[in-house]
Amino acid sequence: MTLDANLHGDVLVIALHGQLIVGNRQALKQRVLDDIEAGTRKVVVDFANTGYIDSSGLGVLVSLAKRLRELGGDLRLANLNADLRTLFELTKLDSLFQIADSRDQALASF
Amino acid sequence: MSHLSRVLEAFAVAQGGSAVVWMESPRTGALDVVAAAGGEVTPPDVAVLTDEATPRERATALGPQWITRIPGHTPAWLGVGAVPGGDADVVRWVPMLAEMLAPILQSQWEAQRATDELAERYEEINLLYSISDILGRTVTLEQMARTILLEVAETVGAEYGAIHTHDLASGVLRPVAALRLSPAVEASVIPTDHPVSVPARVYRTRNALLVDAGVLESEYEEAFRDGAMLSVPINWTAPGGGVTLGVVSLSGRRGGTAFTAGDEKLVAAVGSQIGTAIQNARLVRASVERERLESEMRLAHDLQLKLLPAGQVVAPEALCAARVEAAEGVGGDFYHLFRLDAGRTGILIGDVSGHGYRAALIMALVMSASAIHARTTSDPARTVEALLATVADELRETEMFLSLCYAVVDHAQGMLQWTNTGHPHAFVIDATGTAHRLEATDPPLGLGSETLHVRSRPWDRSADLLALFTDGVSDARDQAGHVLGEAAVLRVLAARRREVPSRIIDGVFSAVEGHMGRVPPHDDQAVVVLRSA
Repeated sequence: MTLDANLHGDVLVIALHGQLIVGNRQALKQRVLDDIEAGTRKVVVDFANTGYIDSSGLGVLVSLAKRLRELGGDLRLANLNADLRTLFELTKLDSLFQIADSRDQALASF
Repeated sequence: MSHLSRVLEAFAVAQGGSAVVWMESPRTGALDVVAAAGGEVTPPDVAVLTDEATPRERATALGPQWITRIPGHTPAWLGVGAVPGGDADVVRWVPMLAEMLAPILQSQWEAQRATDELAERYEEINLLYSISDILGRTVTLEQMARTILLEVAETVGAEYGAIHTHDLASGVLRPVAALRLSPAVEASVIPTDHPVSVPARVYRTRNALLVDAGVLESEYEEAFRDGAMLSVPINWTAPGGGVTLGVVSLSGRRGGTAFTAGDEKLVAAVGSQIGTAIQNARLVRASVERERLESEMRLAHDLQLKLLPAGQVVAPEALCAARVEAAEGVGGDFYHLFRLDAGRTGILIGDVSGHGYRAALIMALVMSASAIHARTTSDPARTVEALLATVADELRETEMFLSLCYAVVDHAQGMLQWTNTGHPHAFVIDATGTAHRLEATDPPLGLGSETLHVRSRPWDRSADLLALFTDGVSDARDQAGHVLGEAAVLRVLAARRREVPSRIIDGVFSAVEGHMGRVPPHDDQAVVVLRSA
């Protein structure tokens, strides 16, 4: 997995390329934690190029979302494919995240 | 008889003259006879000796004798004399005989020099032999370091010294062997950033340092420093470049003499050998540790499997079978089965995020806690809430979460109740083979609310099959990375729904293994199936 990070105003957008799994979740976590340390409070994770997230990857997303909410911010998700949407629905994780159909929609939601 | 003597004898016989060779003693400077064939053997006066090619003549009691220097490194002279009845003009043979003797003496000189050098460097050779011997044996790091330190100290004549190795975890130089001034004073750990300590400086600069008495003295060396000290880095050349593993320090040279540049050169040269020996010892230690961990993992895996109940514990009300395959020794997938009151059956399947030791510990905690809470209430939501209260701290501290589905089958009333915290693969397969998902009622434990929900559906005790599995089953991958998929698992369950539960489990794992081929599982795999008896 690789990730591209860009600032859109005060929103950090992270685009993931490849699977988010136990072996690479730490890279995403550390990147967002570094930005939180630098003052970022709003984050969008774009899954347009991600086809699979394992349970560890889900854990990182939840952990980062909790951290941002404690600081008054939020982590929102965009561009989940049908399988990932189903995964979030089946695990009820859709109740914990605001999920947008597109990156622009996610940016506009802040 | 030496080669030199044989040549002189041959000359005497062939040319009718005497011949003698003197050599200057390296110890006394006097001339000693080393070979002779007749004639005057008394060494000539110094005045007669010359380095010129032209022979000098001297008178002897046996007649005239011509003396000349034999060419070459050896300080040797040839004396040739006339003998009665011999060649009267024997002097003409002197230069030729001297030239003939030169290579013989040169050869003897080189042989002697090699012998002397071997004798002089015996201790150094012995040191290298000792290190080579250690490299070929399996010894502890401490044993190896002490042996090498003793040999190095002996070779350079040092009474005291120490070997420190760099501790990666704490970033200090840790003593692994020491020849101490006093048993009462232990060699201490040295911070690598200490500004005065000589070993610390050597470690940082990777250069040897030879310091005189009174120079750069620090409390960190007081156990093994007496006057001047020589410290040399211990280097190891790795495929990706060199790395300094530690420092060897020597002090207290016998006789109070100073360490020489030769000592520094010698110890620096063996530094890399010591580095290899240290690295070997570390690899052996790591290998032993890894074997121990693997052994403990196997034991933990066996213990974990023993925690899982057999399907028969829910008889006679239900028929059940289950299997868990852990991805790496111990895992985070589990199930539990309970015979509850009023003929009901409780079935729990769970998946701790991640696997390995931490996941296994949470799994064990959930297993024991659920056995208690399942018997305190008939409501699945209350049971799982109590379970969450038990493991909430552990989940928070480890940043793990727990997806589980706890279902209670009331065989007599024909009712199935469940609480599902984010577990996606929980189904009832009905009489027609249709799969009905037991949808999640709440997010995984550790991520969401502490108040949980319960749902229910009718249970056909004559035909319904409860089938629960974890994502390690549906996400099993083949060589190309393609997942088996939930639909494929459900097809197997539907096709075998009328078979005994153990056969159904066999069918699911057969499909999983057939799909994976030789690819090792990347996640734990658990399957539980149950029907009313």
